[in-house]
Amino acid sequence: MKPLRCGLIGVAVATCFAVSSRQPALAAPPEKVALTGARVIPVAGPEIDGATILIERGKITAVGADVKVPFDAMEVDCSGKVIMPGLIEPQSWRGLDIANESLPVAPFLDVGDAMDPSRLYFEDALRDGITTIHVIQGHNTVIAGMSRVVRPIGLTPDEMTLDLHTAIKMSASPRNGYDRMQQMATFRETFRELEEYIDTIAEKKYEDELEKDKKKVDVGPSEAAKRGRDKLLDADYDDAHLNLMRLKRGDFDAWIYVGAPMDVAPAVALATEQGFIDHTILLLGDETFKAIGELKKAGRPVVLPEDLFYRERDPITGEISETFIPAKVHEAGLMFALQPNPNSSMAERYLTYQAALCVRNGIPRQTALEAITLNPATMLGMGDRLGSIEPGKIANLVIYSGDPLDFGSWVEQVYIDGIMAYDRNDDPRLAEILRLEDVQRKAEQAKKEAEEAAKAKEAEQAQPKQEPAGEPGAEPSPAEGGGDSPAEGGRERRRRGDGQ
Amino acid sequence: MQSQSCHPSAHPGSAARWCILSLLAAMPFAIPAQAQEISAYRVGKVITMDDRDSVINSAVVLVKDGKIQQVGKASQVNVPDGVQVIEMPQCWLVPGFVELHCHEAGASTDLHDYVYLTNPDLRTLESVNPGTENFKLARAGGVTTALLISGSGTNMSGLGTAVKFGDGLVEDLVVKFPASIKIAQAGNPERYWFRVGRSFMNYNLRQTLQEAKDYDQAWDDFEAGKTEEQPLFSPTFDAFRDLFSGKFIASMHTQQYQVVMMTLMLVHKQFGIKTVLDHSTFDGYKTAPLVIEGQDVITINGPRQLYFDGTQRKIFGNAARWWQGGIPKLGINTDSPVIPQEELSYQAAMACYYGWTTYEAIRGLTRIGAEALQLEDRVGSLKPGMDADFAIWSGDPIDPRSVCWMTVIDGKIVRDAREGMRRF
Repeated sequence: MKPLRCGLIGVAVATCFAVSSRQPALAAPPEKVALTGARVIPVAGPEIDGATILIERGKITAVGADVKVPFDAMEVDCSGKVIMPGLIEPQSWRGLDIANESLPVAPFLDVGDAMDPSRLYFEDALRDGITTIHVIQGHNTVIAGMSRVVRPIGLTPDEMTLDLHTAIKMSASPRNGYDRMQQMATFRETFRELEEYIDTIAEKKYEDELEKDKKKVDVGPSEAAKRGRDKLLDADYDDAHLNLMRLKRGDFDAWIYVGAPMDVAPAVALATEQGFIDHTILLLGDETFKAIGELKKAGRPVVLPEDLFYRERDPITGEISETFIPAKVHEAGLMFALQPNPNSSMAERYLTYQAALCVRNGIPRQTALEAITLNPATMLGMGDRLGSIEPGKIANLVIYSGDPLDFGSWVEQVYIDGIMAYDRNDDPRLAEILRLEDVQRKAEQAKKEAEEAAKAKEAEQAQPKQEPAGEPGAEPSPAEGGGDSPAEGGRERRRRGDGQ
Repeated sequence: MQSQSCHPSAHPGSAARWCILSLLAAMPFAIPAQAQEISAYRVGKVITMDDRDSVINSAVVLVKDGKIQQVGKASQVNVPDGVQVIEMPQCWLVPGFVELHCHEAGASTDLHDYVYLTNPDLRTLESVNPGTENFKLARAGGVTTALLISGSGTNMSGLGTAVKFGDGLVEDLVVKFPASIKIAQAGNPERYWFRVGRSFMNYNLRQTLQEAKDYDQAWDDFEAGKTEEQPLFSPTFDAFRDLFSGKFIASMHTQQYQVVMMTLMLVHKQFGIKTVLDHSTFDGYKTAPLVIEGQDVITINGPRQLYFDGTQRKIFGNAARWWQGGIPKLGINTDSPVIPQEELSYQAAMACYYGWTTYEAIRGLTRIGAEALQLEDRVGSLKPGMDADFAIWSGDPIDPRSVCWMTVIDGKIVRDAREGMRRF
């Protein structure tokens, strides 16, 4: 297959298009794209060999081995490749200037005000096949602000945003320098004050409406507050309370960090008491899996810690015990999502490696693949738009050179919204690797040509009037250079070449 | 007055000695200047910075009552009898420089008041002080007009004042108030109190601007007869009505991609405020497509003309990168007293050293600043009717070897280096 030589985003596919249609390079990307011939891992169903994925206006419209390519689609030959749904990073604050503000309770904040689209983090994410990132504040908080789901491309946060106000961040584990009791007391106080605030504005609303109709207030304050509650509009709330009210109403989810096993029960109790337990996702710390009973009882989806192994040294015997966290969570039947470990300089940085680690430790391949695609999509409430290759979903696709869980595979291209957003061949950071690959490819090509030349010569020598054996390679083939002594002859050289 | 060579004959060492001596001598603050009704300057070259970018060689500039009366070829300008011609036939006459980011035309103790995170009601007008050293430094560097703004210690630190570095009372020196609202996004204001991050800072800034905008809207509605009840007068937000109608700018202390991007999105796009990107250093230049999209955004670069990109291991000239990005309006600032006011042209020299072009740099020091302050029909170029604010240099002002021999503000010679090579 001829490699596609395309630039980043937008211009990318347009350039390919321009080759055939001679349109300027900045023309709109083609409306229909067909990726043909690849092995497709839809995650939502069985893997398909030699499949075609049809993309129309950024959405997947057909997948299968027998999909016909429409005459007006741009066909991209992907034979020999493997196509996966774009990977999803379930939560990260690495696109922000700082993980948390100093304010303990700040539900009015929006990560969009602190996102830096120029961070290398986004570029790296794209290179690693991540097409969707849930940008959310860190754990050092009680109630932090609103998160966003973004694509790792774009000049401004708004341009990157796929979903606004996705979730609100909370932490059941204490903030730095505070203790657990104060953490929970702050929650209680915040939600108590919320009710008090709603009563105040509801009462005022009720009385204002009576006043508008020139009627006298007919009930006491508590009854007025009760009646006024139904009349309240979102616009009546101030910023400090609006998002908490919307959380209780079920407009979005709470992502609660439970950093230690003992934090699970209070977190679940809080969410149950305030009525948003059905909208809760739990973020586990290193040791939290020990409260697997509590987690199982709550039955809520969980995001696993970055380090998938938990290791503990027995203080007396010095013996080290090791727990593979995903196995515990999988046994409990909980939906889970994996996240990359950016603090690791090793392979844990890659979501695909985290999934491969799960497979190695006995988790079914399908479950491992879901944990980096469909599960986080579902947790973000976007399971109908992201996370698998199915008709109707957003065309976020990663083209691998081989199986995605095989660590020898490369991300070759990434499509976001049906537009090529990344092409390994044009990645400036890989310039040196690509150069070396090119050198190697040329060397292999030269070797192959030399072999063919030698073979042809051998065939010539096999003719009846062949020359004596001691007088052969007086003219070594130019590609091989003159390093070897003529006495070794073409045959000898070829043999050594084969061995390399 | 006798003809003056542009090259000082004095030995550099003696100049340095002169400097020290003159400091010791405690010379009077104001350089005595005779306010003449008409004066004429014969120079080798005039950079007019007019609409046609005229450069006139062997020119005469005629000044009357503090305004430019005529600029033209020496052979074509009629100098009235009895008018003394100042002869500097090898020198360049350039419009006075306009500094858009100056903190020291007042007392430096008033640089910023850490009252709240946003302080819309502070005014630098109340701290203008013609007695500061900065006035002398400015004149020595050919800088005639400056936007005095408060520091970046808080998110919004007050209203800025456009002043001239001339002689006279404060009321004579102030050319525009309010001339800007100073807003600092990220960097210094993040040290406020116990540290704020960008999500809170931008939230807070948006709240303050929204409050001002609501006030403006309430008055607009009242004045248009849409509402009957007169809104309460707010001394804090009343000045902001001119901001939203585009009569003055927001001076943004902004740098780095995320911060410049946020300035453009929040201040310019969301609130429609005329925006000037001050500093705009580090990798801020990557926002060039957004600046072009913003159309009337002006970028003022400096002080710090060099950006080392650690990920690419490459050095970039900031101004050059902005210019290559295709932005239409680019100027230079010193952030005095961070960089002495005198060295404004040196900042431009560095910008050119790292890849910008000289003529554009002169425009950036003069015309662009005047346009940002919306004073382009008074300062920033040399045309009949404009204020007679200019400086006479021994050569190209962007060349760091050039000497600023003479500075004229409103037709008055406020500095004459011929009377002593160095300083005051």
